[in-house]
Amino acid sequence: MTEVAPTLKDNFPSGPFDAVVVGGGHNGLVCAAYLARAGRRVLVLERRRVLGGAAVSEEVYPGFTYSVCSYVVSLFRPHIIRELDLARHGYRVIPLDCTFSPLENGDSLARWGDPARTRREIARFSPKDAEVAPQFGLAMTKMAAFIKNIIDHPAPDPASFDPGQLKALWGLAKDFREMGPDLMYLHNKLLTMSAVDFLDMWFESDQLKGPMSVSGIIGTFLGVRSPGTAYVLLHHYMGDIDGAFRSWGLSKGGTGGVSLAVARAARSFGAEIRTGAPVARILVSHGRASGVALEDGWEIKAKTVVSACDPRLTFLGLVGREHLEEEFIERIKRYKFRGSSGKVNLALDRVPEFSARPGLGEHLRGDITIAPGVDYLERAYDQAKYGEFSRRPFLDVVIPSLTDPTVAPPGKHVVSIFVQYAPYWLKEGPDSWPRKREAFGDAVIDTLAEYSPNLKDSILHRQVLTPWDLEQEFGLSEGNIFQGELSLEQLFFLRPVAGWARYRTPVKDLWMCGSCTHPGGGVMGSPGELAAKTLLRSRSL
Amino acid sequence: MSAAGKNGFQAVVIGGGHNGLTAAAYLARAGLRVAVLERRPVLGGIAAGEEFLPGYGTAGLVHDASRVWGRVVKDLDLGGHGLSLTPARPPVLALDDQGRGLRLDPDPAGTAKEIEALASAGEAARYGQYRAFLSRLQGFIVRLLGSLPPDLGSLGRGRQGWDLLRTGLALRRLGKKDMMELARIAPMCLADWLNEWFETDLLKAALAWPALAGDFTGPWSPGTNVNLVLYECASGSTVKGGPRALVRALEKAARAGGAEIRTGAEVERIIFSKGEVKGVALAGGGEVIESPLVLSSCDPRRTFLELLDRAAVDERLALRFENFRGRGTTAKVNLALDAPLKFACRPGRMVEFARTGSSLTQLEKAFDAAKHRRLPERPLLDIHLPHVSDPSLAPAGHAVASILVHFIPFDLDGGWTDQRRRELGDLVVSTLEEYAPGLSESIVGREVLSPADLGERYGLVRGHLNHGEHALDQLFLRPTPECARFATPIRGLYLCGSGGHPGGGITCGPGSLAASVAVKARAELG
Repeated sequence: MTEVAPTLKDNFPSGPFDAVVVGGGHNGLVCAAYLARAGRRVLVLERRRVLGGAAVSEEVYPGFTYSVCSYVVSLFRPHIIRELDLARHGYRVIPLDCTFSPLENGDSLARWGDPARTRREIARFSPKDAEVAPQFGLAMTKMAAFIKNIIDHPAPDPASFDPGQLKALWGLAKDFREMGPDLMYLHNKLLTMSAVDFLDMWFESDQLKGPMSVSGIIGTFLGVRSPGTAYVLLHHYMGDIDGAFRSWGLSKGGTGGVSLAVARAARSFGAEIRTGAPVARILVSHGRASGVALEDGWEIKAKTVVSACDPRLTFLGLVGREHLEEEFIERIKRYKFRGSSGKVNLALDRVPEFSARPGLGEHLRGDITIAPGVDYLERAYDQAKYGEFSRRPFLDVVIPSLTDPTVAPPGKHVVSIFVQYAPYWLKEGPDSWPRKREAFGDAVIDTLAEYSPNLKDSILHRQVLTPWDLEQEFGLSEGNIFQGELSLEQLFFLRPVAGWARYRTPVKDLWMCGSCTHPGGGVMGSPGELAAKTLLRSRSL
Repeated sequence: MSAAGKNGFQAVVIGGGHNGLTAAAYLARAGLRVAVLERRPVLGGIAAGEEFLPGYGTAGLVHDASRVWGRVVKDLDLGGHGLSLTPARPPVLALDDQGRGLRLDPDPAGTAKEIEALASAGEAARYGQYRAFLSRLQGFIVRLLGSLPPDLGSLGRGRQGWDLLRTGLALRRLGKKDMMELARIAPMCLADWLNEWFETDLLKAALAWPALAGDFTGPWSPGTNVNLVLYECASGSTVKGGPRALVRALEKAARAGGAEIRTGAEVERIIFSKGEVKGVALAGGGEVIESPLVLSSCDPRRTFLELLDRAAVDERLALRFENFRGRGTTAKVNLALDAPLKFACRPGRMVEFARTGSSLTQLEKAFDAAKHRRLPERPLLDIHLPHVSDPSLAPAGHAVASILVHFIPFDLDGGWTDQRRRELGDLVVSTLEEYAPGLSESIVGREVLSPADLGERYGLVRGHLNHGEHALDQLFLRPTPECARFATPIRGLYLCGSGGHPGGGITCGPGSLAASVAVKARAELG
C-alpha cells in the first residue's frame, strides 16, 4: 500500500504558487485540497518519502503494512469526506464493532455495537451499571452535538471587537443556553472533571470504569483521575462513520489510506504534491512570508505559506526568532508538548489469542484495551510523572489484518499496540530513549503476554516507537501525537496561543493548519479544513 | 411567610460555625428573630479554638484568618464587637529538607529580599512581577467571589443578563492581555504555572500550599491553579487572634442583634411539608422549633441526604448531592510543649506560622499516597504556634503547636484505628523534629485527629474541611446549579455554609450571601 509520490524536481511545475503547504500529513493535505478546490495553485512539500505524517501506512517489513503511528479513525469529519469526494478517491473505513478488555483476574468485558449485548456483558459485573449505561450514552450523544458546533468552526476570540467574532460568540452562548440547565451543568462538569470522577456519577464497577476512562487520557500526560480528562470521553460518541454514531474504524490499507485518499483528491483539484522535500526555512522578508527554502538551498516562492508543523518547529525552527517578537517567542516556548505515548507494531505468524476469551472470536476484530481498573491506570501514570515509562502500561491494541487482509501476507498478522505512558521527559533526559527503547518494548510485550500467552512465540518482527522516535522521524516536538497537549489551557481560542487561534500568525502570509490549531489532534481533518476556509475568506489569497 | 413560628422564631440557623453565625448576625440585623442551633458545646465549628489539654489551646482547627470579607466586617460592625484586623497576611516561614527557610513576608519587598538571599536577584524580581500580575486581577476576582453565581435556569435573561454582562465587562476591563492570560492559567495545574515563573523549589512549594489545602488534588492536577489565583487575590487583612477571635466577634454581633444562640442543640431533622420548610426537630427529646425560614450551614450533603427526609427529596437532586465530591485529606495534630518550638534555620526568631514542603514533587508524592489511601512517607505540615500572639493559649514559658497535616486520606486503607492514629502522630513529630530539633523532649501532651475524627467532631461529611472539593466544576455552581444561589427547591430552606459559593476557608462569604438572599426573598414576598 505504500505509495511513493514523484520526487521533488521531476517535472517541477513553474511558479508562482498561491500557497506552499509545509508538511504532507493529513491536515496539510486537507488544507491543500481545499485551496486547490477553490482554484488556487498549491504545492505540498513533505520531508519524508511517504505522505501522511502521523496518519501513515508503511511496509516496514516485506509484506506487512503498519499504521505506524495513528491506528484508528473515528473523528474524520463527514462533511470533509463529502466536500472532497474522498469516497471516490479510496477513502474506506471498516468499523470496529467491539471493545474487548481482558481483566487481571482472568475475566473480561466486551462492549459491542449492539447495546443489548453490551448490557448483558456489563450486567455480569453490575446490574446497576448495565441499567444506566444507555442513559449515559444518551447524555453523551446530546453533548457531542454541541461539541460539533465547536469543532466545525474556527474559534471566536473573546477579546476581539470584530462584529463577526462577537456574533459567533453570541451564537455559541445561545446554543449553550438552549441546551437547558441540566445539560449545561453536565457540560460544565464534562469539561472540567476527571474521566473517573465523571464516570463515578453513573457507574460503580471498576471493570467498566477502567476501560471506559482510558479514552480520556490518550495522548495526554495526565491520569484518568486528573481533572480535565473527562471531555475526551465524548470522542467515543462523536465518531461518525457512515452516519453510525459512536463507531471507530480502521482505514482500509492502514491509516495512511486516509491521507492517500485526501492526496488523490488534492491532486484531482490540481494540487502539486512532492515528497522527499525537506523544508529548511520559511522565507520571511519585510515581515511577510514569501516562500520556503529547502534543505538543499533551493527556494520556492509563494504568495502564502501554510505550515502543518507544530508551533515550535514552525516558529523556532523554520521561521527563526529574528522575525518574531520576544513575547510571542515566550508564548511558543511555554506551549506544552510533553509526549506521553509510544507505539509497538508487531508482525505475527498467527493470531494472538487471549486466555480470558479463547478462540478467534469477533472480540479480536475490535479494539482490545489493557486497562483493567482505575488504580492500575493511576499507577501507570504515577511512574510516568517521575520520569519513567510504565512497567505495566495501558495498552490499546488492534489487529487490522483480521478485517483487512491487504496489510499482511496470507495467514500472517499485524498488531498495532498504542502504549501509555512513555514520557518523553525521562528522568535521564529524552536522549536516553534510544538506550531504553528495547526495554520499553519488552515491558509492553510482557504486559500483553500476561493476557495472551501465545503472543511471544508468534512474533516475527517488532517495531518500537518511543516519543523520542516520533520527534526524530515525524517531526512531532517532544513526541506529542497531537502537536501539543489537549489540555483546557491549550484548546479553543487558546490553541496554540491566545490571539493566534485563527490559523494566522504574527508573520504576514504565514498560516498554520496542523493539529496544533483549533480543534486539535486526532485524524479529523478539521484544522486543515478550517485553516483553508479561513484563509480563502480572508481574501489575502 | 413573615409570621414567626409558634415559639416565636422567624429564622433558624443550623450550625454555629463562622458561616452560621455570620448568617444569623445578618438576619438579626435585618430585624428577624433568629435562633442559632449548634450541636457542639462550643461555637465556631472549624473556627473554634479548642482546649485540647488543660491549659493548652488552639486558635481554631484551621488557622488561616486572612480571608474574612471586608464587607462582612463592615456590615456587621465587627470592629465594634471587638474584632481587630492587621492589614496584611502574617508572615509564614517555609521550611525545606536541606535545612533552609524562606520567609514569605506580608510586604512583597520583604519576601523579595528573602528570595534573593536564597536564590537570585532574578528570582526575586520575578516574584515582584508575579505579585503585580495578581494584584491586577484582584479587583475582578474579588468581584467574582463576592457576587451571586449565575442561575442556569434563567441564564442571561432579565436582571441576571445584566449581572452577567457587567461581569463580562469587568473581565474585559482587565485588558486583552490579562483577560486572555486569566483564561489560560485558570484551568492549569499550579505546578505548570509556578514553573513558568520560578526556579526555586522551596518558593514554589510554599506558594502552592494554600491552594491545595483540604482538597484531593496534587500540584500537578489540572484545575488547581484557579485555587491559587483565588487564594492569592482574596486573602489580605487578617483577624488578630485568629479564627477564635472572629467567632467571638460574630457571636457578639449576632447577640447584639437579638439572635438567640443555643449550644448542645443538635438538629436531627428539617421539617417540611408541601415543598415548604416548617422548622427543625432537635435530637434527644424531639423538641420542635418552628420557623418559616431555615438556613443550614452544614455540609450540603448532610443537609439534603441526612437532615431532610430522603424520600421527600427529588431523586435527581439527591443524586446530585451524592455526586458532590469531597473526600477529606486533612488531619490535625496538636502538641502541648513545655518549651518554645525553635526552628533550626531561624534560631533567634519568633515564628508563628510555618510550612514544610521542599518541592512541588514532594507535594505530589504526598498526594500520591493519599490517592492510594496510604499515609505519606513525608507528611506535609502547616504549623501554627498560637501562643506567640496569644499567650493565654499556653502556660507561661510553654508552647502549643497546632498542625494541619495534609494529604492524609479519609479512607485510609484498612481504616483508622488507634494504632494508625498513633502512627500518624509519631510521623508528624519525627518530621517536625527534623526542622525543630529537641521537639520530642518538650512534648507534654498531644492530640491526633484523623480526617475521620474531624468528620465526626465537626460534622464534616467524609471529613472534608471545605464541605466539598474546590474543583473547577464545583466552584461556581456550588454545590448544585439549583442551589448555587443559596435558595433550595424547598421554599424557606437555604444553604449558608462552605458547600456554597465561594466555598470553604474562613471568609464568612457563604453566610453573608445566603442571609442577604433570604432577607431579600422575604421582603419581596412581603
